[in-house]
Amino acid sequence: MKNYLKLVNFEFNRIAKLFTVLLGITFVAQMIGVIVQSRNYLNMANEKIYKEMLPQAQFLENFGQMSFLQITRSIWFFGPIALCIAGVAFYIFFIWYRDWIGKNTFIYRLLMLPTSRLNIFYAKITTILIMTFGFVAIQLIIIPIEMLVMKAMVPNEFRLDMGVMEVLTIMPELTLIYPRSIMQFFFNYGLGLLAVSVLFTGILFERSFKWKGILAGLLYSAIAVVVLILPLLLHEFVLNSYFYPIELFVLEIVMGLIVFAASIWVSGFLLKKKVTV
Amino acid sequence: MRKYWKFISILVVIMLSIGTFYVKSVTSEVNHPEFVIKTQSGDAKEIEPLKLMGYYSDTSSMNYTSTNLKISSEGSTYERRTFLDQVIGEPPAVIKEYQENYRSFMRGKGLNVDSFFENDQVLAYADVDYKTDSFYSRDFKFPISILNKEDGSVQSFTVDIPDSEKMDYVYMEDVQMIEDELYLVTNNMVRNPEGSFDEKHVYTIDLANQTIRNDEPFSQVPEGQEGNRIVTDVMRTSPTKASDHIIFLQKEIKVIEDMESYREEVVKQEVISYNLATKEKESISVSDLPFTIELSFFDGSSIYFIGLEGQEIVVTPYHLTDGKASEEYRLQLSGEDEDGLGSAPMTTIKDGKLYLSGQQLNPKLNINVADIIVANVKTGDILFKGQITLNDPETKNQYELYLHEMLVE
Repeated sequence: MKNYLKLVNFEFNRIAKLFTVLLGITFVAQMIGVIVQSRNYLNMANEKIYKEMLPQAQFLENFGQMSFLQITRSIWFFGPIALCIAGVAFYIFFIWYRDWIGKNTFIYRLLMLPTSRLNIFYAKITTILIMTFGFVAIQLIIIPIEMLVMKAMVPNEFRLDMGVMEVLTIMPELTLIYPRSIMQFFFNYGLGLLAVSVLFTGILFERSFKWKGILAGLLYSAIAVVVLILPLLLHEFVLNSYFYPIELFVLEIVMGLIVFAASIWVSGFLLKKKVTV
Repeated sequence: MRKYWKFISILVVIMLSIGTFYVKSVTSEVNHPEFVIKTQSGDAKEIEPLKLMGYYSDTSSMNYTSTNLKISSEGSTYERRTFLDQVIGEPPAVIKEYQENYRSFMRGKGLNVDSFFENDQVLAYADVDYKTDSFYSRDFKFPISILNKEDGSVQSFTVDIPDSEKMDYVYMEDVQMIEDELYLVTNNMVRNPEGSFDEKHVYTIDLANQTIRNDEPFSQVPEGQEGNRIVTDVMRTSPTKASDHIIFLQKEIKVIEDMESYREEVVKQEVISYNLATKEKESISVSDLPFTIELSFFDGSSIYFIGLEGQEIVVTPYHLTDGKASEEYRLQLSGEDEDGLGSAPMTTIKDGKLYLSGQQLNPKLNINVADIIVANVKTGDILFKGQITLNDPETKNQYELYLHEMLVE
């Protein structure tokens, strides 16, 4: 356990720079987004009210008040989120391959550590998870700050105030990242964790058998997907919709756990017996 | 310990931030106004079994989202479906009850209430099954299952639908059973060289031989007749109540096409009562009755022709047993709807009572059709009259309430 924590800390320190840079980009870009969107709205209001002589009430009737949703719907808000997602996706691969690249192959030292080699796998997957949750958590903190900035820029009567909760439930794209119920939260991120574990196994296949390993990795992923959706396939094509939805749901969770366990077992086997430096 | 500060601080941030978010999402309820059914006259007890389903949207902001809600005599409840509720889905109340009582029989059965028939001895199910290839649907079949409630035995078989090579789609509209025969009322979409047409059919299934004994078509596509077509609707009944008649409304529609316009005109309208057991068709004369098929209702022994005339609901009861219509009565609606934008009310009949509810409230567009009326369906005596309003009318004036379903339990 202590070795595992040491390894996690070590891995996390290695991504801390990338993590901070991505967070910085997110904060700056979204802040610019808040300012740009608010100014656009205010400029439009000025134009309509002072140049085209539209009464204020009429303007609000036609164009609506400014709400935080206008900001979340802009590229300034979603762009950095997409960038962070891409960053995590990239790092799922890089977290392994960086150990093999470079002058003195670092993986050699990692594998020589006097601890279970599976701990390396656990540490790396935990790091991916922490990185993801880190982005998710800090975005939650940034949003209220952005709301304050918007409040400062747009006068009261032109502004429709919304809570963080409201904004996050209204945007369907955001409900994927911030599901309304905690159950759904665990379900979504559990599925993500499962996908990462399968990808890790694929990467270890490649590291163990090189070119042939890529094939083996792809095959393993395909089998994992088929096993995971097996109950759905059977239900739909063979059993004539035999299961009730709740039974199907439980079966799917069981299948997910089986695939997750299999990924850990196969990865452990590859790390111990097959991986080459 | 100092080695670990980055790691520990990010863990703390994650726990606090996401933790607070979910604690808040459990404890905070989005603030929606409360709707009530305000009694104007009559006995408020009458609306206790009534449940109205619809949605509410706040139109003061431009975000166009709506929340589902239920309104009953106890006020309004906004629906907040948990993740598990979403997984399980929400089958209609009748189906839910069947699933609880006959869990194993209900496996693999669809959720269409019209596909089921229930009496004291059996629960019968009939659906439509077909294969699709790239262009056409084919091989239409009726999968049929009948559960004997006494000994729990199940009889299951499938029957091929005749002439199915010309069909695009078949939809089950009603299932009835009398003794050893099952009656399936379907809407078939049939291709012919001029296009696709709807046909209504009543199939009689012989349960002992597992075959189709009779196929009675209604409103078949007229052949070679130019322009005119026949549209048939089945009159609503209570989905769970057995009846030995099916009431059809047949309209002959003339299509008038000239250079720049296309319109349809109803040339002839006929109400047909079809006796399932004897296969007799009887025409009911309703030439000058004001009614629409959406509002009208058949309760197994009487047909209630219901129509809307201005702000009045006109009800004409017609008794099948003696073939006579009794005196019509009128119910006054109080709603205001200056521009006529609101929709017609919903009606249903249960246990000799007519329930009526308006569908829409939108103060900004001056739509206020939210009457609730309960009346004795035979005589038209009003037992309850009320209106859906905000509990505290001062709270909001920019919203829309739209009701789309009425249930009487």
